[in-house]
Amino acid sequence: MNILNDPSMKEIVQDFCIESNGLLHEMETILSEFEDNLTQTKNLERFGQIIDRMMGAAKSLNLNTLATLCELGKTIGYKASQVTDENLLNVVCGILFDNIEIIKKMIHGINTQNQDIMKNINLETFVGRLRWLSDKFKNIQRSSVAIDKANMDQQSIDNLLKNLGF
Amino acid sequence: MAIDPNLKILVVDDMSTMRKIIKNMLKQVGFTNIDEADDGATAWPKLEEALSSGEPYQFIISDWNMPQMTGIDLLGKIKANDKLKTVPFLMVTAEAEQGNVVIAVKAGVSNFIVKPFSAQVLKEKIDKIFNT
Repeated sequence: MNILNDPSMKEIVQDFCIESNGLLHEMETILSEFEDNLTQTKNLERFGQIIDRMMGAAKSLNLNTLATLCELGKTIGYKASQVTDENLLNVVCGILFDNIEIIKKMIHGINTQNQDIMKNINLETFVGRLRWLSDKFKNIQRSSVAIDKANMDQQSIDNLLKNLGF
Repeated sequence: MAIDPNLKILVVDDMSTMRKIIKNMLKQVGFTNIDEADDGATAWPKLEEALSSGEPYQFIISDWNMPQMTGIDLLGKIKANDKLKTVPFLMVTAEAEQGNVVIAVKAGVSNFIVKPFSAQVLKEKIDKIFNT
């Protein structure tokens, strides 16, 4: 059964939508501050921390496309916080605003169970654009972001823990 | 060996939805005595308070990435406290880089679980922690 149609999960999904809307508002405020002063890259770090919260919950609720948008937003936010190229940061800011808009629509669609809301959005193209942008930062190392190939799944972690004597 | 369903558990995560999901899963697998904190910084006073009231937490499930005090910092504080250092600690993360797993193991984590996970996987982790 789709989690969105599972009565036992209904309340949690609704709470997730409410909590996410609050976080999206917070992220918009952060991005607006950043847009006004592109030297304040610590705002992108804050953005990354907030979208990371949504990502974990989205993954746990099997909202996979939403989780991907959050994951890429987190990667871009964290990694862009370490660069100083204002032209690139302008692009980052614009794409992260677009990401927030799309996530907002997605959350609205989940909350109202209206699948049609995403019909006019070419998600594949947008995800491609996010990936293109995150590739710009591929030489920046930062743990706990999805782009790092060293991230492990549960099985790999269990194997590592076993090797470490667990 | 069966684990006491009344085991006193603290769930620490900065996302309220995640705390609800984990609490839901814990209830599904039979646990009833579950409390929550929204960050390592708010978890710590709860741990101290429970300890001084004579009813300490017996198990901690914590997210890694949190704004004020991360899961790894909370684990470090717990391990540095003689009265809390034996409390089992399950680390939750959405992504895990090998280096971070090693850091957590060195810090004394009891086990590691990656989001998304099912109630069954959570139960297996808990069984492993309490039966080894």
